Amino acid sequence: MEEKPSLLPTKAALAELSFWDRHRLSLLLIITVVIALVMTVISVVIYNSTGAAQLDLSRPGYRSVSDKVEKTDEIDTYSASGAVNKDTIQEFMKLYDAQATKAKAVDAFNGDPLNPEVLEFSAPSGE
Amino acid sequence: MRRIFFVALASLLTAGLLLPLTGSSVNAEDLTPDQAARVKANCVSIKNSLSQLHASDALLRVNRGQVYESMATKLMDTFNDRLAGNRLDNKAMTTVTSNYRSALTTFRADYIAYEQKLSEAIKIDCTTQPNTFHAALEDARTLRTKVHDDVVRLHRIIDDYRSSVSDFLLNYERVST
Repeated sequence: MEEKPSLLPTKAALAELSFWDRHRLSLLLIITVVIALVMTVISVVIYNSTGAAQLDLSRPGYRSVSDKVEKTDEIDTYSASGAVNKDTIQEFMKLYDAQATKAKAVDAFNGDPLNPEVLEFSAPSGE
Repeated sequence: MRRIFFVALASLLTAGLLLPLTGSSVNAEDLTPDQAARVKANCVSIKNSLSQLHASDALLRVNRGQVYESMATKLMDTFNDRLAGNRLDNKAMTTVTSNYRSALTTFRADYIAYEQKLSEAIKIDCTTQPNTFHAALEDARTLRTKVHDDVVRLHRIIDDYRSSVSDFLLNYERVST
C-alpha cells in the first residue's frame, strides 16, 4: 500500500526555517500589541494636551453636570452671502446685539471660590 | 581660571536641576500651625467643595465656550465674508475678529492650566500634606482669576466688534449718499 505524503513539514524542513519564520505568528501578535499600546499612549497624550479632556463631561466626577450641557446652540447664524446695504447692516446689528447680550449674560468664572476664607480654613469656624 | 569656570558651570547646572524641584514649596506661603490643623480637620469637606466647583466650572467651560465659539463662526466670520463678497472694506472687523480668536485661544489655554492645577490640588492628601495642598490651591486660585480676566476680555472684544460695525455703517451711509 502506498503511503500518503504528509502535509506537515518534515523535521529537516523545520530545521531549515529561520528563527523569525518559525515565530511569525508570535511576532505578529507582539507587534500588534506594541502598535496598539503606542497608539493608545499617543491618543491619551493628545486627549490631555489639546483640552479635549476638559470638555469631556462623560468622565467620572462630571456625571452630575453632564445632563446640564446646552445641546442647542444659543447663537443664531447670519448668512455669509447676499447684498450689503443699510438695511442688511442694520439687520445684522440687531441680530448681533441680541446674540451679544446672550454671550455676555454670564460673568463666567467670577468670584473667588478658592479663597481660603470661602473654603473655611483661614479662620476658626466660630469666628 | 579653567577650574573656576567649571565650578561655576557645575553650580549653574545643579541649580538649574534643583530649582524646579523646590519651586512648589517656595511659591506659596506656608500655613500657620492653626490653619494646617483646620485644613486637616476639614479636609473631606474642602475636597467636596473643590470637586463640586471642578464639575460646575467644567460645565461652565463647555456651555460658555460653545457660545463664544459661535459668536466668531456664526456672526463675525459670516458678516466679514459677506462684506468681502461685496468687495467692501472689512479690515476693521477682521482685525477685531482676529483679536477675538486670539483671546479665545488664550481662554482655552488658561482654562486647561486652571483645570489641571485644580485636579492636582484635589488629588493631594490634605490630611498629610496641608502645605502642598494650600500651595496648589493658591496656584489654582490665581489661574481661575486669569480665566475670568479672559472672559472679561472676550466680552470687551464682542463690544469692540459691534463698535466697528457701527463705524462701518456710518462710513457706508456717508459714501452711498
